[in-house]
Amino acid sequence: MVALVIALALFFDFTNGFHDTANAMATPIATGAIKPKTAVTLAAILNLVGAFLSTEVAKTVSGGIIREGSDGVQITPDIIFAGLMGAILWNMITWLKGLPSSSSHALFGGLIGAAIAGIGFNSINLESLLQKVILPAIFAPLIAGLVAYICTRLAYALTSRHDPETGSKLTQKRGGFRTGQIFTSSLVALAHGTNDAQKTMGIITLVLIAAGTQDPGSGPEFWVIAACAFAIAIGTYAGGWRIIRTMGSGLTEVKPAQGFAAETSTATAILASSHLGFALSTTQVASGSVIGSGMGRKGTSVRWSMVGKIALGWLFTLPAAGIVGALTALLVKTGVVGVVIAAVAGTAAVLFMFFYSRKSHVGHHNAVEVEEAGQAVRFSKKKGLSRVRAKARATADEQKDTQR
Amino acid sequence: MKWLELLTVGGATLVAAVTVVVLYSLGVRLTAIAGDAEQASPGVKRSLAYICFGLCGVAVLFGLYLIIPYFSK
Repeated sequence: MVALVIALALFFDFTNGFHDTANAMATPIATGAIKPKTAVTLAAILNLVGAFLSTEVAKTVSGGIIREGSDGVQITPDIIFAGLMGAILWNMITWLKGLPSSSSHALFGGLIGAAIAGIGFNSINLESLLQKVILPAIFAPLIAGLVAYICTRLAYALTSRHDPETGSKLTQKRGGFRTGQIFTSSLVALAHGTNDAQKTMGIITLVLIAAGTQDPGSGPEFWVIAACAFAIAIGTYAGGWRIIRTMGSGLTEVKPAQGFAAETSTATAILASSHLGFALSTTQVASGSVIGSGMGRKGTSVRWSMVGKIALGWLFTLPAAGIVGALTALLVKTGVVGVVIAAVAGTAAVLFMFFYSRKSHVGHHNAVEVEEAGQAVRFSKKKGLSRVRAKARATADEQKDTQR
Repeated sequence: MKWLELLTVGGATLVAAVTVVVLYSLGVRLTAIAGDAEQASPGVKRSLAYICFGLCGVAVLFGLYLIIPYFSK
């Protein structure tokens, strides 16, 4: 059972890397700063390095959320298995439906749901959960967004060049930001490794503690760190090819200066949070930054309905994955048959996902999650707007014509 | 207490990101000026730009140095 859970957790780590390469490397590839192959390799290596940097988040996951050992509440590998299954199943569902969701929150939700259903409410360390998961989940994207807004403003203010005599605009020459993006996106990849790989480390450590092979409250062992680091790096490398294929169909327009500001904010927000052991969703932080930097550029308006949709997806993930996790826990509780059913369902889901992605059926919704955030900001170009209006008028006229 | 940590994260993010962005933007700006046609001392501007880029890199490395537990022990 322990081996099964570890394998499952590593697989979860792999899919995480697979999924999130886009967040880090999409923009520099799109702006042509780096070649796709180099970008993907770089991201994989930096994820690997990032995973080794810190273990604070892993400690939050393994020691903070579910009370183990000392309080008399026994968490078993079965519960963790159920939680992981819940997370993977929920990820599958959202992935197929194209809903924006966070795999990190799915993981926590599944785990919490499974613990409540399997053991009871007292197994949850509510205070720690609120402080280390829920509050950061709400505030980190806001912080990142605000910082990205300020940074974008600053970057544009500092580099905008006007002729001192005539006041007319000179060529802005912001090409330097394109090169800078190589570094900032590398930092994002690094930050991703420090936060996301650690969640899996935390899970595996939790399993080892539950199985009694490790002391409660201790940090992850070295082989666990190494395994998780490699799992996420391989996932990143594997996932990159999918994204490169999608890249041909175009990305939301993000200027290098904007991308630079957004990525800097993302990376710093994640790194700072990782340092304090906040387990947050990298996707959400990146989305927050993209929206923030979009607002920082002149002549933009925000599609609040789109932002609302994204926010709803975020809020929904934790309880929904919790319910799936709870159901799985109840199933596992029934005995061996339940475990087998859950395992088969999970494997089927995973296999389905694999073959589905194999069919090169890659849409924007599943390849680039931050894309959603990009769409939330509209660049109101006068030309574009008038064109849209003209089109709308034309179709309205057509409708009138047909009505007659 | 947790609010304080949250504030720390926010403050650290703001300071770090603004530092990096401002330094890099200055570098970009100076490179742009140095590239202008009628320019008295492009060499000085260019070297200033490189100093900015360098400082930016140092800021990033310093941030990483603060975070990695291996160094702070």
